[in-house]
Amino acid sequence: MLPRLPSTQRCHTGPSLTLGMLKECYTSPFPHMSKTALRRRCCALLILLLAVSLFGGSAQQPPPSPLVAAAGDLVQQILSRSGSPSAVAITFQNSSAMSGEMQEIVQTAVFNSFRDAGVRVVKPEAALAEIQIIFSEDWQGYLWIAEIHEGTSTQMVMKKLPRPEHTATGRVPTLTVRKNPVWQQDAPILDFYADNQNLVVLEPDQVSLYANDGGQWRARYTLAINHEQLWPRDLRGRLKLNGGQITAFLPGTLCAGSLSPPSLECHASDDPWTVDHGQIVAFYSPRRNFFSGILSGPSAGASVVPFFSGAAWPSGDQRQWLFAGTDGRARLYQNDLSTPAAVYNSWGSSLAGVHSNCGSGWQMLVTAPTDNIHPDSIQAMEIAGREAQPVSSAIDLTGPVVALWTAGKSGETVNTVMQSTVTGRYEAFTLTVTCN
Amino acid sequence: MKHSRSRLLAISCLLLAAAGGHSSSRPHYGGTARVLLQYRVNSIDPAAEEDHPATRDRMARLTFETLTQVDPQGRVHPRLASSWRPDPAKRVWQLRLRLASFHDGTTVTAADVVASLKNAEPGWRYTATDRQTVTIETPSPITQMPELLAVEKFAVVKRLPDGTLLGTGPYRLSQWHPGEHALFTANEDYWGGRSYPDSIEFQMGAGLREQLLQRQLGPYAAAELTPDGIRTLDQSGQEVLLSRPADLLVILFLQPDNAGVAGRKKPIDPRLRQALSSAMDRDAISNAMLQKKGSPASGLLPQWLTGYEFLLDSAFDRARARKLAADAGLGVPSPPISLAYDFSDPVAKLVAERIAFDASQAGITVRPYGESHVNSKSAQASMNADAVLLRLPLASLEPSVALAALAGDLGLAPETASSALQAVRPEDLLQAERKALENFRVLPVAHVSQALWLNANAHNWQQLPNGLWDLDQLWVEGVR
Repeated sequence: MLPRLPSTQRCHTGPSLTLGMLKECYTSPFPHMSKTALRRRCCALLILLLAVSLFGGSAQQPPPSPLVAAAGDLVQQILSRSGSPSAVAITFQNSSAMSGEMQEIVQTAVFNSFRDAGVRVVKPEAALAEIQIIFSEDWQGYLWIAEIHEGTSTQMVMKKLPRPEHTATGRVPTLTVRKNPVWQQDAPILDFYADNQNLVVLEPDQVSLYANDGGQWRARYTLAINHEQLWPRDLRGRLKLNGGQITAFLPGTLCAGSLSPPSLECHASDDPWTVDHGQIVAFYSPRRNFFSGILSGPSAGASVVPFFSGAAWPSGDQRQWLFAGTDGRARLYQNDLSTPAAVYNSWGSSLAGVHSNCGSGWQMLVTAPTDNIHPDSIQAMEIAGREAQPVSSAIDLTGPVVALWTAGKSGETVNTVMQSTVTGRYEAFTLTVTCN
Repeated sequence: MKHSRSRLLAISCLLLAAAGGHSSSRPHYGGTARVLLQYRVNSIDPAAEEDHPATRDRMARLTFETLTQVDPQGRVHPRLASSWRPDPAKRVWQLRLRLASFHDGTTVTAADVVASLKNAEPGWRYTATDRQTVTIETPSPITQMPELLAVEKFAVVKRLPDGTLLGTGPYRLSQWHPGEHALFTANEDYWGGRSYPDSIEFQMGAGLREQLLQRQLGPYAAAELTPDGIRTLDQSGQEVLLSRPADLLVILFLQPDNAGVAGRKKPIDPRLRQALSSAMDRDAISNAMLQKKGSPASGLLPQWLTGYEFLLDSAFDRARARKLAADAGLGVPSPPISLAYDFSDPVAKLVAERIAFDASQAGITVRPYGESHVNSKSAQASMNADAVLLRLPLASLEPSVALAALAGDLGLAPETASSALQAVRPEDLLQAERKALENFRVLPVAHVSQALWLNANAHNWQQLPNGLWDLDQLWVEGVR
């Protein structure tokens, strides 16, 4: 009946549904079944406890795990299809990557669901229906298959469900980079501003304004961004708010307006962008995704190689700049912008300075050198002399970083936007550095 | 399955690690991505009959866009259609078009889309509700219409009276030498923004082995690989991108059981076809002929896509095969089965010969021979073979759409595609697949991975699990 099951674990049920008897239902053992009965019972209890803790349940009212709920749903479908026989025999096979422990949790849930429905689980010779449950999987999740044999007829029920997500464990850091979620949405986010009252989101074709309504962001207005030229790919934008005045920098376009009354006017412009908290002002290539290298503002007249991102910060009585060049190299400048003091080759193209009360007071948040279709990570670095030293563990993200901008009055936060490879949504969050 | 899963996992990890070795992450503009394709194609028209449609579609996708698209996670996204909505019965779908232009600068209208879709699927009703809205009405419900419209067959093509084909995609076709060479240049006015490379250049029918021997891979961004090419590259420590085992290697018996036209060959006895199925050692074919870059197939859709393929029986059973063959021949040796394979595919030759060997062990005579054209329906209609060994791409990551497409490729009864597209539960799909296989006119042999060599200077090259390429975010290093 089942011609090819490359990796299969089988189990036959016995008549009892009690926890202690659970293991005795198996006719072909799992590798871990060669333990003593006492150890088995302890193990089963531990598994149940694990199931409760794993899915975040409290001691008082543990919520059902998704897999347990799915098992109950599968049983309901089986009963619906088979006409609710009063006694069934059940066998299990696992041809998926589901762990033995998780399989036991699901099997227990299946038994319990039959019991709750008033159906006895018996040996095959006493059963009115024999049910074979196969835990299979496809590339996206689990597929549970139930073959129901009643007399000469065979019916089938299949249930698809996603795999539970696992969380990664962290490493011990020197400093801690804290991630504070702000907002997420399906449409791209280029930059954002958030304070206690307002959330302003810069999108490719509009600026969205939200107001704080009892801890929830409620949409207030959307202000259209009118632009004559097509946006380039890897569109980037910078949002600045100053006393209720909005400035949005986009490639070849500058928008200005206000929060109240809500307004926004955009026009073609090659005005330089404010890259960080005001220390770097630079010209942006209007049909590309990088800064041309020509600086303005405090460093007017100077130029560096074309760059994707940059940071500037004081160090004693010195000034320092760091630019992530389009050639894949990050260049450190100290005191003047004529010659780099150091070059770093293994960083990603997004970096941003952040002011903290730790270490030297300024850290660089740097992305990993992964392609922007893969999940990224962000790590804090400090520049000591000409050396760049990692001072935090890397935060692993679930998608590529699409925006990383220094924000806050004195650069104490970094606005970050990531597109999740899991959900496809854009997630906006701020990053800060705290001392351990 | 576990072995192949862990292997794939290892490959994925290696790829991620390799990607981590690049020294930048934001895309760079400029440059030319040069690509070597294994097969030659003569037309870029997504609706034209083509011997190697998967190869054609790799290029066509750059120029001709579909209304929707599916990402590597299997999620459907808007493309030329900005939104869509079905009626409750899923028979009538209304799609809103985005503002986009064909490569001649004319705006895409609902009338253009209707004309294009009619060419792709004449059995549906189309209405240009207004300038930007298209309504599609199907005879029976199609639950996965957005996923179906992402298949390249439904790409929007504007056909000019002089035969010119216009698309809306990120690249314009600027040079086309059929079967030899194609050059696509960036569409500066693309609605999604200009693509990063200035151009993408394809060399067709190019042997990777020759390029390797001449140490000429340097200028190329990517090259399609055969299993022997993978081995060669593995030995030289190059990066190889493997899809999941997605392509279906399948034997199709050309004469349907109800064929009775005078002068045509008789259909092969169903018991003999079943005998051949039992005689094939699919594990050996996958392990030896496909060098473990494939998995044995018992269904049309692979296990990794559906999770249920193992429920379909295709056990290797030589004794059973002998008995079935003897029953079919009624004591007389069964007539030989002529099996055509793609002459230009060295793997197909190996597999066909292995099938002939397995068959001979069960008392069945199979005579494999190479044909220059095997995949197109017109070629099959004029073929003298009893059966043909085909390699069919997995058109979609949505199982029902993929099954419907395979049914079309195999010329199965229209009900197969129809029931696949109407399936709402996995068990419905399994039932449709069982029905398609029950008369043994189609014998799945293996699911085969697609392999690609990738130069370290090519970034964001996305290969979907079914082997399709998504070059939307591609950029090449060394240029700005």
